[in-house]
Amino acid sequence: MLRQALRQLGRRAGLSVVMIVMLALGLGATTAMYSIYHEVLVRPLPVAEPERLVNLGAPGPKWGSASCGIAGDCQHIFSYPMFRDLEARNTAFAGMAGFSEFDANVAFRGTATPATGMLVSGAYFDVLGVRPAQGRLLTPADEPRVGEAAVVVLSYSYWQEGFGADPGAVGQTLTVNGQRLTIVGVAPREFFGTVWGRRPRLFVPLSMRWLMQPTLPRTDETRTAYWVYAFGRLRPSETTEQASASINALYSGILNEVEAPLNTGMPPAMLEQFRRRAITLDPGALGQSDLRSVSTQLTLLLGVTVLVLLIVCANIASLLLARGVERGREMALRASLGASRGRLAGQLLLESVFLATAGAVASVPVALLTLRGFFAISPGWVVDNLTISVGRESLLFAAVAALGTVVLFGLAPALYATRADLGSVIKGQAAQSVGGRSTAGFRRALATVQIALSTVLLALAGLFAQSLANVARVDLGMNVDSLVSFSVAPRLNGYTPERTAELFDRIERELAGVPGVTDVASSSVRLLANESWNNGLSVDRLAHAAGADTDASLSMVSPGFFRTLSVPLVAGRDFTDADRIGAPLSKMLPRVIAGIDPTLPIDELTTVRRTVQENVYLDRLVAILSGGFAAAATLLAAIGLYAVLAHSVVQRTREIGLRLALGATPQALRTMVLKQVGLMAVIGMPVGLAAAVALGHGVGALLYGLVGYDPAVLTAAVATLCAVVAGAAYLPARRAARVAPMEALRYE
Amino acid sequence: MSTVMEEQGMPETTPAPMIRLHNVEKSYPYKGGQTWVLRQIGLEIQEGEFVTIMGPSGSGKSTLLSILGMLDGDFGGEYWFDGKPAHGVSNKERARLGKENVGFVFQQFHLLDDLTVAENLDIPLSYRNVARKERDARVAEMLDRFQIVGKKDLYPTQLSGGQQQQVAVARAVIAEPRIVLADEPTGSLHWKQGEAIMELLRELNAEGTTIVQVSHDERVAAFGRRVIEIADGWINADRKLV
Repeated sequence: MLRQALRQLGRRAGLSVVMIVMLALGLGATTAMYSIYHEVLVRPLPVAEPERLVNLGAPGPKWGSASCGIAGDCQHIFSYPMFRDLEARNTAFAGMAGFSEFDANVAFRGTATPATGMLVSGAYFDVLGVRPAQGRLLTPADEPRVGEAAVVVLSYSYWQEGFGADPGAVGQTLTVNGQRLTIVGVAPREFFGTVWGRRPRLFVPLSMRWLMQPTLPRTDETRTAYWVYAFGRLRPSETTEQASASINALYSGILNEVEAPLNTGMPPAMLEQFRRRAITLDPGALGQSDLRSVSTQLTLLLGVTVLVLLIVCANIASLLLARGVERGREMALRASLGASRGRLAGQLLLESVFLATAGAVASVPVALLTLRGFFAISPGWVVDNLTISVGRESLLFAAVAALGTVVLFGLAPALYATRADLGSVIKGQAAQSVGGRSTAGFRRALATVQIALSTVLLALAGLFAQSLANVARVDLGMNVDSLVSFSVAPRLNGYTPERTAELFDRIERELAGVPGVTDVASSSVRLLANESWNNGLSVDRLAHAAGADTDASLSMVSPGFFRTLSVPLVAGRDFTDADRIGAPLSKMLPRVIAGIDPTLPIDELTTVRRTVQENVYLDRLVAILSGGFAAAATLLAAIGLYAVLAHSVVQRTREIGLRLALGATPQALRTMVLKQVGLMAVIGMPVGLAAAVALGHGVGALLYGLVGYDPAVLTAAVATLCAVVAGAAYLPARRAARVAPMEALRYE
Repeated sequence: MSTVMEEQGMPETTPAPMIRLHNVEKSYPYKGGQTWVLRQIGLEIQEGEFVTIMGPSGSGKSTLLSILGMLDGDFGGEYWFDGKPAHGVSNKERARLGKENVGFVFQQFHLLDDLTVAENLDIPLSYRNVARKERDARVAEMLDRFQIVGKKDLYPTQLSGGQQQQVAVARAVIAEPRIVLADEPTGSLHWKQGEAIMELLRELNAEGTTIVQVSHDERVAAFGRRVIEIADGWINADRKLV
């Protein structure tokens, strides 16, 4: 049976290859998207029993300053004293830990590089259950007092890249933001902290914050400065509810007895809210990250690839069905020789299993290529911070998907092909009895489903493309072309505010002298990079009501800032040199900076146009991927449609010849084929459109400047598909019109 | 019982033939050369004749029939139908000439399985732009004439072979062709059924329809009045049956 199945596939090698290629495309795209989906939304942290981790949140009013990053919004941060109180008196968890991200300038053996660092509490690694790759990890003993733990743990990749994986690195000294830290160990290879999408190179004790971030005021005893993210590990068999009750009893006590009395001036209603605040516990197996807000887009893209895979399945089912029809006589003969229907169906299914296996194997390179494409259109931070490969889970997914497709595309044809009526076959009417109305109808139904699916995918891709175009057309209020931006952080290198001002001044002067540079300006907040700096402010001669929100976004900018960006001022004038009070300034080119201070690393050197594009990278990603997948789907549907029609013409050669003999004109036969495809389109397209409108409504939040049922987009999708359908029908229709009647009538 | 008639021996008073073939040849390219299916065919058929083309398998009978039926235009020589050329004209022109004058009956019946008996009868009319009302009337008349009214809503697979061929003959004549070409019309039937079909054809001929059939069965040929024998693409004999 095994040999027979292989021989059958080999006999129609061309068709087998076409099916394997289609399967590889469908499975490859789906596997790639699943790999991304799995990495972002499914894969737990590489730590011990990740399902026992919970992330702590602290919603409610916060009176003071807050610094939150990509690990979560400002509802998820605690003040340092509160975190330490909870940690010290914790009975709710087996252990709890805190962390916060920081920017580091790392100097080692005379070279300076920018890096992301993670400030972590002493129990961090212990709570996670992570073991060192080299040396040791941090422990509570590393945090005797604030600012006294001059130790650092390297990430595995940094140890590899920066130290050539030299075990001798442990014990050496590294200068981080001007502080000499002793390397005590290396984290395990797959561990990058608990913030998804961030790959810190360094882990430094939390209590070192004010040495690592020298520009920040010391807040180790300030209960109104919020910046620590916290997580805990449930005890075995402890429920989240039990832990919540326990930690909140503790939290409520500290809030009411210690913190509430400090909030003098807080309006009574707000104070009441403050006293009632409670800690929330969220599942922490995946770690913490704001970047997971992309789940809608990823789910959508995964759904899109599944639709592509369904189209592939329909194509293959259709082709196998056609082959089954051709083999009706063979099946009947086998049946007459004693083969049971189950055995015959089993043989056909076995062929499908071979196809699926070959397709699954061939899908791996397709998946890898798709991932490469994904990274090619992703912004730098995605490329730097994520490793997405076709892992074990993805391969398992591909195997399951392949098995699913076998059932989908192999079963129906197997059942149809083995249904042959022995008598009629022996009389030479196999093609009629097996390939009669029901089989042809089923194949037409499959093609109709493909048209519907393609309509959905084309409409969705159109919506996202149009949305992206709308985003690109948004007036940013400035001219971002020919604008290059970069950042330097001299304060991290120990520059005083005065020296920083001088440095910026000098950089600006020297860059202005570089040929081709027309204007130079600096600001404290990076342009259009989705960053902000908030602070309370007051305006002279303007009184504030008590409790009024005086928080405002601000950026400190240099003279000529508005001129440089071509931003027209509504009133007044641009800053001039006369306005300088020693504010931080900056601008341009690595060589210039290196000439001024070779130890000062340049970060984020890019064009502002690129920054703008990276701001909307998700829209771009969705538009490009959905567009690509829709194009692939439409092409596959066209191939499927062509196959159905072409086979139908071949099957109907006798009928077509007969019709010609009875007086039909070639035009009438062309029309007959076109009518067939027209009927499929007339049914498939409205169904697809209805589904597209429903889906468009569902993804409305992802669209910019248009609604999910945008008539222009839907019309364009339908027009595209009509052209594709007509194209797919053209050759079969032409072939039908060219059938030679006498040959056709002898055709069996 | 029969006499061989040579073409040049035809009396000059004979009316203009419905069909006149002159030096018709047909070949296919084969292994770098040509394989001949028909050689120097010269033939005249008068309106109202009942002709049987006989010969062994592969002798070229069916090819000749398809040329006569204007389904095949790829041949050498001349073919005049009613004084009009069917050679050297466009496929469209030849198809039009065929559509106006020729009806077909096939060995395998070639009814469309997806259509009912009535719908099968309707096909030739639908290709001749006959108005729906008239088509319905002609179909009804034909069902009546062939005594198959009770089977009009059945599908071909629900009929016996003889009944299917009966429908096929009805379909061949429904558009009132001047000539019916029948390719082994009884070849797939047992003799009793075949005899009934031949009776039908004889009746049609008696009513004025020219019949040209291909057969290798003398009993079938006996229903006609002239036999043309073909072997290896050549006409061997052309005899009248008395």
